[in-house]
Amino acid sequence: MSQENAQSAPNAEPLSDADQQIDDAINKEYSAGFVSNIESDTLEAGLSEDVIRFISGKKNEPEWMLEWRLKAYHQWLEMEEPEWAHVNYPKIDFNEISYYSAPKSMADGPKSLDEVDPDLIATYNKLGIPLHEQQMLAGVAVDAVFDSVSVATTFRENLKEAGVIFCPISEAVHEYPELIKKYLASVVPVKDNYYAALNCAVFSDGSFVYIPKGVKCPMELSTYFRINEAKTGQFERTLIIAEEGSEVSYLEGCTAPMRDENQLHAAVVELVCLDGAKIKYSTVQNWYPGDEQGKGGIYNFVTKRGIAHTNSRISWTQVETGSAVTWKYPSCVLKGDNSVGEFYSVALTNNYQQADTGTKMIHIGKNTRSTIISKGISAGKSSNAYRGLVRFNAGADGARNFTQCDSLLIGSECAAHTFPYIESKNPKAIIEHEATTSKVSEDQLYLCQQRGIDAEKAVSMIVNGFCKDVFKELPMEFAVEAGKLLEVSLEGSVG
Amino acid sequence: MTSTPLHAAIAAGSTLTSHATTKIADVQNAAAHAWAQTPWPTRKTEAWKYTPLKALEKGEYFIPAAKSTLSADALKQFAINRLEAFTLVFIDGHFCAEQSDDLTQLPTGMTIEHLDDASNLEQFNKAAGEHATLFGELNTATINTALVINVAKNAQITQPVNVLNVASANAPCLANARILWQQAPHSKATLVEHFVSTQDSQVFTNSITELFVGENAQCEHYRLHLEDEANLHIGGVYSHVHKHARLNSFYLAMGANLQRVDVVTQFEGEGAEAVNNGVYLPRNKQLVDFHTCIEHKVPHCNSNEIFRGIIGDSARAVFNGRIHIHKDAQKTLAELSNKNLLTSNKAEVNTKPELEIYADDVRCAHGATIAELDALAMHYLRTRGISQEEAQVMLSFGFINELIEQLNNTAIVEYLRPVIAQRFAKKPEFLESLIHEALV
Repeated sequence: MSQENAQSAPNAEPLSDADQQIDDAINKEYSAGFVSNIESDTLEAGLSEDVIRFISGKKNEPEWMLEWRLKAYHQWLEMEEPEWAHVNYPKIDFNEISYYSAPKSMADGPKSLDEVDPDLIATYNKLGIPLHEQQMLAGVAVDAVFDSVSVATTFRENLKEAGVIFCPISEAVHEYPELIKKYLASVVPVKDNYYAALNCAVFSDGSFVYIPKGVKCPMELSTYFRINEAKTGQFERTLIIAEEGSEVSYLEGCTAPMRDENQLHAAVVELVCLDGAKIKYSTVQNWYPGDEQGKGGIYNFVTKRGIAHTNSRISWTQVETGSAVTWKYPSCVLKGDNSVGEFYSVALTNNYQQADTGTKMIHIGKNTRSTIISKGISAGKSSNAYRGLVRFNAGADGARNFTQCDSLLIGSECAAHTFPYIESKNPKAIIEHEATTSKVSEDQLYLCQQRGIDAEKAVSMIVNGFCKDVFKELPMEFAVEAGKLLEVSLEGSVG
Repeated sequence: MTSTPLHAAIAAGSTLTSHATTKIADVQNAAAHAWAQTPWPTRKTEAWKYTPLKALEKGEYFIPAAKSTLSADALKQFAINRLEAFTLVFIDGHFCAEQSDDLTQLPTGMTIEHLDDASNLEQFNKAAGEHATLFGELNTATINTALVINVAKNAQITQPVNVLNVASANAPCLANARILWQQAPHSKATLVEHFVSTQDSQVFTNSITELFVGENAQCEHYRLHLEDEANLHIGGVYSHVHKHARLNSFYLAMGANLQRVDVVTQFEGEGAEAVNNGVYLPRNKQLVDFHTCIEHKVPHCNSNEIFRGIIGDSARAVFNGRIHIHKDAQKTLAELSNKNLLTSNKAEVNTKPELEIYADDVRCAHGATIAELDALAMHYLRTRGISQEEAQVMLSFGFINELIEQLNNTAIVEYLRPVIAQRFAKKPEFLESLIHEALV
């Protein structure tokens, strides 16, 4: 709810006036849309072996890493772009994308915040991510990724005391090559899918987290990253390893400046959750969704997967409100006995946004359990699809899954879809799946308005109520941000 | 996929039977062309992801079945007692007038024509053509004796029509079954499609049924697959349900080693209603695959779908239930439920209830479950001195019987109950008690 609307809307205003406000609100420009004028060290568009050698060289990568990338590149060349998702977008010309962009003044790599380009710091401040404040007040270590190179990593020392490694993955390649060699692409194989293979070849940077045996990470780890340079794909790569009995909560959130051309983002996130460990991975995604004509916006093709070993737990929570096209299925491979997988998702689409998102729960071990709660909200002319897979293998005795996918439609031109694949080979496993689709109830709206709550606020309340099962799974700060995000993204979609 | 003389014939556009009217010839040529163009399904073909067609790949099932007959005695075993239906007999896809009821003695308000002599072909292949699949095209391209069954305006026909399809050939062959059922406005009628087989038969039945239910008309439709396991069956039921009409369909899949049924129900007018219920009970190495789709094209229609299955031995079941709400189909109510019981370690279920919604003022829900028999219910029965085996039989039968009980036609209920009970009760004493108790 924007300020102007709050002031101008008399409480018992008829709906037609609410329509007007709504239109105004919808027309509001993306508030995080600006371009910061930092000189960038951007590679010319196009993809070839030389580009990969350049990226690798830029990071002084060891020979084995370069070879790994080149191998991935050749595998990618032989793969085909997936077309099964319920999304439409012009074919991507992978030779029109630049695969490397680093803030120029960062070339030497800063050691502390003081060394960071002041323009960059200002950008973060505009977005409301004051690093200093976060360091001191929030107690959150932030590995901020600006385009492709990590520029500031905080609280590293504190974490080191606990034995936790939290650093850019490019650094981990040098400092912890054994861990990287052992775990990189162990969860998402290079050839897993088209975009994962592409990521392997050209990944720019990302976070590396290692939690030693029995350690409970003393603080929530968080990465804020932005896409900045026009026509630059960002290929994030995150690897989290939780050793036996350890625990970690990782937050990921992002906004991107306004841009007319579509930007490609193909990230890979891998979680390795060893015996008895717990990983909680939360995402708030608010990248530029394109304007109200559907022009511009980020293409977000992400592969996220975790392997859960015996007695471990992986929990994915996501609030997706941004991107023009989203293609994202955070998954759990429940390999060990008694392991648990969870997926809580709110996906909101407005205007011409398209989302095809969901999860995969692969039950391999005995007594594995999984829960899927997905809430999809479509408004404007958008399309929002849940696509999920729940598979019980023959050995998954006593496994259990519960899935609930609800969709809410706001406006008569949007679309909501549900495509759940449910496969079972085990009679001792129980799967329950339910899905509903409905619109914001007129009765509920009427009741709120009758009590002096204007239409827009009422819808916001109803939508927040609709999503509460997911919000309660988010870390506190994120829950607040998520509620606000929905409110802003939904402004004026009721009539 | 091996090429067969049939493939060559179809590809050459010279389909088996030449038909009198140009309309039929045109439709057939188009279908033949489409068949030749459509690639053979593989695991990557979404609609056939879980259903391999290996059995057909050798090509031996593509030899069109020759016309044959069966004695009246042989046909007696397939009678549904007390149904008192008007029976039309097809043997290996060929219509047998002499074994069927006398076409001159039809119930008032009903006419039956051969496709070639049909007075009105406007709706021929209209519903099936819109959603054509590879096998639908094959059916259309190779029609031999298709019947057109018409129910006149305002006719209230109580006598069901029983289309008995017998698979009898004992060498692999292709039987083509095709029915065009047209109900004029305000009419009421019942269609039973009964698929059976004689001993040692090895027939691949490729069937298409088109149902057109006119304004305010009511259609009761039963489709029973009860062939032996040496047979194969791929079929489709395509319906158009018009304004304020009602279609009530029930599917039973127990026969054939491979059974695939595409059910597409499309609403053509407001205020219409459709119920599609079904039961599948594959065992041994059977594979049952139901692909259903409800096309809500217009506002104010209701659809309800319940499919239940029990999968034993090394059998597999596939269920894909799609609800498609078009852009203008406001005020739609659509529900779908699919429940599966797995009773063996080697059995497998793949289910996918889909919602595709382009209108906002609708209420849609679907649910799917896969589990074994309820442990609590089992415990309850065991504490009352009922053996494990008997308790299993009771619960399994009860799970399916719920749907059977709801059927409107008591003759069908009485016919199916022992057929289904036999599937579960391996001991005769269980069987008796099941049939008896259910009847009480």
